[in-house]
Amino acid sequence: MAKLVKFKLNGKDVEAPEGQLVIDAAKDQGVEVPHYCYHPGLGNPGVCRLCVCEVAGAPKPQMTCRTAVKEGLDVKTDSPVAKRAQASSLEFHLANHPLDCPVCDQAGECHLQDYYQRFGLYKSTVREDKRHKEKRKDIGTWVMLDQERCIQCTRCTRFVDNVTKTHELAVFGRGDRSVLDLYPGMRLDNPYSGNVVDICPVGALTDKDFRFSVRAWYLDRTPSVCTGCARGCSVEVHTNTKRPWHTGGRRVARLKPRYNPEVNGWWMCDEGRYGYKSADAKTRVKGSSVLGTDGQPAQLTPADAAARVAKELRELCADNGPEGLAFLVSASLTNEDLFALKALMKRLGVPLSNAVLAPGADQLGEEDALLRRKEKVANLSGAAALGFGVTKGPEALKGKVWGAWTVGRAGHGSWIGLPFTLWQGANAVRGSDTARWVLAGAHWTETDGTVVNFSGRVQRLRAAVPPLGESAPAWAWFGSVLRALGGAFPHDDAGSVFAALSAAEPAFAGLKFELPKDGVLLPKGRPEAATA
Amino acid sequence: MMACCETACPLWVDAAFSAVKIALAMGFGLQTAAFLTWVERKQSAVLQDRIGANRASIFGFKFLGLFHILSDAIKMMTKEDFAPPQGLKPWHTLAPIISMCAALMCLSALPFGASVELFGRSWNLTPIPLEYGVIYVLALLSVGVHGVVMAGWASGSNYALLGGLRGAAQMISYEVAMLAIVAGPLYLYGTLDLAQAAAWQARTWHGLPLWGIVLQPLAFILFLTAGAAETKRAPFDLPEGEAEIVGYFVEYSGMKFAMFLNTDFLESIVLAGMTTTLFLGGWHLPGQSHLGLSGPLLAALGVVVFVTKLMGVLWLLMQIRWTLPRFRFDQLLDLGWKNILPLALVNLLVTAWAVHLFS
Amino acid sequence: MNAKHTVAKVRRPEVRFQEQIYLIEVWKGLVITTRHLLVNLYRHLSVALGRGGPAGSVTTQYPDDPQVTAKRSRTRHRLLKREDGTPRCVACMLCETVCPAKCIYIQAEESPDVMVEKRAKTFKIDLGMCVFCGYCVEACPEDAIRMDTQFIAFPGMTRKDLIWDMPELMGDVKKDPKPVKAVDPLGPAAS
Repeated sequence: MAKLVKFKLNGKDVEAPEGQLVIDAAKDQGVEVPHYCYHPGLGNPGVCRLCVCEVAGAPKPQMTCRTAVKEGLDVKTDSPVAKRAQASSLEFHLANHPLDCPVCDQAGECHLQDYYQRFGLYKSTVREDKRHKEKRKDIGTWVMLDQERCIQCTRCTRFVDNVTKTHELAVFGRGDRSVLDLYPGMRLDNPYSGNVVDICPVGALTDKDFRFSVRAWYLDRTPSVCTGCARGCSVEVHTNTKRPWHTGGRRVARLKPRYNPEVNGWWMCDEGRYGYKSADAKTRVKGSSVLGTDGQPAQLTPADAAARVAKELRELCADNGPEGLAFLVSASLTNEDLFALKALMKRLGVPLSNAVLAPGADQLGEEDALLRRKEKVANLSGAAALGFGVTKGPEALKGKVWGAWTVGRAGHGSWIGLPFTLWQGANAVRGSDTARWVLAGAHWTETDGTVVNFSGRVQRLRAAVPPLGESAPAWAWFGSVLRALGGAFPHDDAGSVFAALSAAEPAFAGLKFELPKDGVLLPKGRPEAATA
Repeated sequence: MMACCETACPLWVDAAFSAVKIALAMGFGLQTAAFLTWVERKQSAVLQDRIGANRASIFGFKFLGLFHILSDAIKMMTKEDFAPPQGLKPWHTLAPIISMCAALMCLSALPFGASVELFGRSWNLTPIPLEYGVIYVLALLSVGVHGVVMAGWASGSNYALLGGLRGAAQMISYEVAMLAIVAGPLYLYGTLDLAQAAAWQARTWHGLPLWGIVLQPLAFILFLTAGAAETKRAPFDLPEGEAEIVGYFVEYSGMKFAMFLNTDFLESIVLAGMTTTLFLGGWHLPGQSHLGLSGPLLAALGVVVFVTKLMGVLWLLMQIRWTLPRFRFDQLLDLGWKNILPLALVNLLVTAWAVHLFS
Repeated sequence: MNAKHTVAKVRRPEVRFQEQIYLIEVWKGLVITTRHLLVNLYRHLSVALGRGGPAGSVTTQYPDDPQVTAKRSRTRHRLLKREDGTPRCVACMLCETVCPAKCIYIQAEESPDVMVEKRAKTFKIDLGMCVFCGYCVEACPEDAIRMDTQFIAFPGMTRKDLIWDMPELMGDVKKDPKPVKAVDPLGPAAS
């Protein structure tokens, strides 16, 4: 920790660590200095010249993103000199910017629009025609480039150079002829390409997936956690429920990474970013059903389904012994779900070792040093902390079971035809239609709860939209079957389940459901068994 | 008078003459009621700067919208005759019949003209000449209450029932007042026969016709007011209260509804006839002796004069309807019991005293 | 601020005796209505006999006589076209956003014209819900939507008939009955 020094900001005496950038120190004091090129995760090349402010003793306005705090510095960010310098700088940026805001997806969350209203408001003196460059250039799997709108802040080129180190983008040419473009023969198709859309302060880089669907101001934003892998990146779920026709009825419009220095920084991978589509996909299971004698599924109401499953389980357990019932559970389930499952298994008399949470072949994937983890499930550590085995596959139980209850993962082929097969989840997967019972599960964007990432950090999932149709979160299903069996499950929201959980489970002792936005580490640290 | 019975005429002549008179009186009432539906629309339209109903036409001729009477009749007759399933159908059907019949029967007692000497005998132009005509009319008007209450009760609807009860309370209250009001002039005329009451007013005093309105101005005003309330006309049309409080015929449609509507108009005609007879000198035209008419011509003039006066009163009732806002129910009952009835009794006392003094 | 509240006392008009007995007031009312009746009767007669004078009623015989609107009133919407016949609308959703009645429904799509980029796939206005405030016209950055004058009647037999899509709004499908007459309230009648 650098030592604190005193300096003057807009005439006020403030303290900041020595060597911190003035722009950051000002932000800590609640003073916003406009900037484009500077990004805390990408460095400060000082090319946009928008963060210029008056520094006492310097002959000209200085860039606050290139000036370090030192004892006795006197910075004025809102003096007439500073304001005029910022406005002039902004005018240069807008000189060749096409102002096609009506068709630009960035409108509403565009830094050019915001800064013009707050720091610009000059009368344009540019009478010449604007530069025309290539519009609508398809540069990658997910990204569309509009060279006219680009203000050459180089955030995206620094991202592909420094963060992903894939080097697809660069600014070519000089002066007003400089354009952002791909290196010849390359495409922006690295696994983190979506991030360049987030960091682009204007609408030069837009998301092909989101393109032209919803205007930014219609979106509702819910902070949550991506369940795509064991990293558990902090995300914002953007939902469009006010104008459903814009997205053709899809409720979840897009995901954006949410800054969390402990987990994902500013970034998230494309796999997670575009993984939201399952929330409104055609494969969603909206209602529960049971296969009739004719092989056709018959719809069940949630109460009916829970009661009938409970009745059948009670009879089968009595006849064949509870040791023959296996639970194949996705480790993406929240701690609340797993806690309810534990209670249900205890009530039935099923040993905890009959629950298989180890990721299946379809739940393992690519891994890299940046964010992505091999295990494509979100709560492996949480499952381990709750005492579930997370390494053993289902093979050990082969031949010993009469029933399989599968939650949120592909069914196990060899168990087809068992007396009891139940599949529960949000999206139909391989084998889910062969189960006798189907219970409709809620999608993770519809779920409240907590998950523990690979490093033992507990984070909060928040429901961005209500569960579709008659689907319900897994803890609610386990709870209602438990109640139908005569057990006690006095909870009707995830917060209540978590309170019971933190009281009962030593690994979660003392935690509150309202977690800080960055999450907290498990009090006793990461469970050792939490790797596949 | 009973002139018909005293002569040696065959009975069938009397019977036929009576039948024709009654048919004419009822026909006059029904035609006028139909005409009033048009008057009501047009009069309100003209005084409110509108045009009024004018779309019904035959071959493009609109004729001031008079065809609306015809189109209304066709509409009412071809509409679904709906009886509420929770109601009592026979009574539901009977109610408008009772109301309308009572009003129609009143009409037959109005003295449309004096007697006329022809073919060696006297022909009384009153359809049903009665010595107690006033009592007859008032009694039949109160029979109308039965229709109202029956309609409200048989509809099986709380709104209709409340409307019917409101109607009963109002009509019975004003019946009492009506009797007290007419007692004054009748004491003056010394008769209960409507024709004789009309004939009494033919006398003059220094050229001024001594009509009931001159001798009994207070009774005239009270009679018009109480009459409007008794016949449920605006500003006392609370039993109906179409838009706000919902009346007894809320469950009626088609011709049955039209019968209730017609009852209102018929009762208005009866009220106008009674007013004409008791207060406006009946068929008497001041100065008619100077015209030199006699016999049938004089009688015809009397009929025309009576109908003209009757129409004038109807016009006044309409005009009042389109001038005054509706009363509140408590105001209505207050007016009847606390104001009109005492004033009527005072009027009766003063009349009795004066008659005693001058006779 | 003083926490005391003062209650304004409203003085109700006192009912005088002559008003209480009501009869005089009834008489006054009757005089007014009867005067109206007679004056209007005279005017009706005067017009009917061809002697002219003011009309006895203010009623417009709507389907027979043309309805008259002020010249500057803005009524039914129209979507404008470019010179090549394509709609000017770029589906920026500003009109949909500003619309207080929430009666505009737009879906966007990629335009084949690279200089246009974005265009409306559907552009529907529910004229049954529209309040004709004109905000959409003011919000439009492309001058793609305007409101015509003289078109106040667009009847439909169902509510769905009142939802106009792009062909109707651009005039490719005619749904208008005859236009009404517009007059300048400050001057002589316009054509």
